[in-house]
Amino acid sequence: MRDRLIVLVEDNADDAYLAMRVIGKVCADRVIVARDGEEASQLLQNMALDGMHRQVRLVLLDLKLPKLSGIEVLQAIRSSELLCGLPVAVLTSSDNDLDQERCRALGVIDYIYKPMTADRLQRVLVQDKEP
Amino acid sequence: MEPQPAQSQHSGAPADLKGLSLLYVEDEAEPRGMVSKMLLLNYPNLTVYPAENGAAGLATFQKYLPEIVVTDINMPVMDGIQMSRAIKELRPDALIIAVTAHSDTSYLLNAIQIGIHYYVLKPINYDELFSALDKVLDQVALRQLVERQNRRISESERQLALAQRIAHLGSWQCELPGGLMTCSDEMYRILGLLPGGAQVRLERFLERMSPEDRALLQEELAAATANGQPLEALFCRVRREDGSERILKIEATVMPAAEHVPVTLVGTALDVTELKRAEEEVRSLTDALERRVLQRTSLLQASLQELEHFSYLVSHDLRAPIARLEGFCRALLEDCGECRSDNCRIYAERAVRVVRQIKSIIGAFNDLSHFTRCTMEIGEVDLSALARGISSDFQRTEPERSVEVRIAEGLVVQGDGRLLKIALEHLIGNAWKFTSKKLQASIEFGAQGHEGSPVYFVRDNGAGFDMKYVDKLFKPFQTIHSPGEFTWSGTAIGLATVHSIVLRHGGTIWAEGVVDKGATFFFTLASDPEPGSYYERTH
Repeated sequence: MRDRLIVLVEDNADDAYLAMRVIGKVCADRVIVARDGEEASQLLQNMALDGMHRQVRLVLLDLKLPKLSGIEVLQAIRSSELLCGLPVAVLTSSDNDLDQERCRALGVIDYIYKPMTADRLQRVLVQDKEP
Repeated sequence: MEPQPAQSQHSGAPADLKGLSLLYVEDEAEPRGMVSKMLLLNYPNLTVYPAENGAAGLATFQKYLPEIVVTDINMPVMDGIQMSRAIKELRPDALIIAVTAHSDTSYLLNAIQIGIHYYVLKPINYDELFSALDKVLDQVALRQLVERQNRRISESERQLALAQRIAHLGSWQCELPGGLMTCSDEMYRILGLLPGGAQVRLERFLERMSPEDRALLQEELAAATANGQPLEALFCRVRREDGSERILKIEATVMPAAEHVPVTLVGTALDVTELKRAEEEVRSLTDALERRVLQRTSLLQASLQELEHFSYLVSHDLRAPIARLEGFCRALLEDCGECRSDNCRIYAERAVRVVRQIKSIIGAFNDLSHFTRCTMEIGEVDLSALARGISSDFQRTEPERSVEVRIAEGLVVQGDGRLLKIALEHLIGNAWKFTSKKLQASIEFGAQGHEGSPVYFVRDNGAGFDMKYVDKLFKPFQTIHSPGEFTWSGTAIGLATVHSIVLRHGGTIWAEGVVDKGATFFFTLASDPEPGSYYERTH
């Protein structure tokens, strides 16, 4: 089996660094970082073209992003025939209940508050393996 | 002399004889004395002045001005005719009875001219004299009656005119068709005319109204006449000749035509100029006040908006960098396991605590701004029941403590039950906390002051506070007890929260305390707090 991938959608370099540090502690997956919502959406669609999306183990999605918001990216994923089954977990510092509700409705597998700990990510990955 | 007639013939004279007097002139002494005596006998209330000739009679008349004169005609010095003429000049309403002999007939024509209407033939027959006198007295009685009525009427008229003048109320009536009007003096004055001036016709009356109001008044009067319905109060402006404008409240009613009387409009006009001006003034003051309220409100809205931006900044924008800081602190702590320096670990641990502290302050800030902004649902709230529930909760959590709790019954208010519960939780919670070092702790919730605006209070006998710090009590994030002195829970926003909740209920809050003796927190609540939220109305 080819390398498994984690797509991290995060505009802030520090947050991206912290998330990658935690991912590196938990697993050896390759991490691809998208810096804004549009880039993330483009990246995933390109992956779908050559079937690379099947390697994506988890999309870690920040909500507050330039260009397209996390919610818009999520909507794009869910409306794409190839991408709609992707496991997405939100990684945010917002405590907005409404955001959380909308994300749950769009079928995210988890909702993680920053900063993410290794234990927390581990739980997400285990949970994702279960079904 | 004829025998005197029975008294019954004239005893019923309707005139009030009191105050009436009679001059009797006769040159012959014997009949003068007899007749005078008979008059006094028969008319005991009448004052009789006898005189022996015309000149003496005139002198007496001038002195006493009697209402009635009985006089002989043919007399020395001055005869009865001459005297009567002089008397009539002095007092035209004097009633004169002439006593004449047949030989005096030559005087009669003069007598009629002068106005002598009664005659008694000589020698005097008492029946005849008394019958003539009774007729004269009837006339006096009639005159007295008319005078009294006139006095009464003119008194009423005077009162009415005065009342109209005081009230600035004119009255008028107008005969239709034709439109001939009769106006009271005050009505003339209101129209700016001299009282009792030329009679006004309806067209002239209407012409005095300002053109904007004239048509409507004309229409309404015509409609009232056509329907026979009263004219509802109508406000009309009148322009007086001197240029001043008055405002009249005109009301009228229609009197249907009756025998010899055409359809008549009867109305009043009340000068309400001053009243209207006062109204105008009140309205302009109200407008000014409303404008000022609007200005203040928009200022308030602006500062509320700023506050909201600030709240948003604190609750959302600050979260990301703080989460980042927390992430790096954790990373530092995890990676420090490989570092030799103990200080690195201690610093990292402390930094994590600082981050936690920042987060709890932000949380408290968000809670506080929530109570300022959340929607209020107003209903009946039983503060006594809330206080009972809260204090028994505290007792359950610390059953080992002995606290005497007294709660006044029946303190029911209008307010938001959820918010008032939070306020009481903080007040009773503080009392519970600050009595923790007392062996005989006591907490009281009650109300004082009069029915209409009670002052509620929560009193304890705990640690109290120094009154010089009283201003700090209700400010958020300020404490007047050192950390660790009492179980320091939360971020010192309890009383700030209570303050905010009381303010939102239109009330005020204040406190009194003595160190080691206890504290009392007083608060009032408006009887009709406004529901909803200021934020809802401004956004």
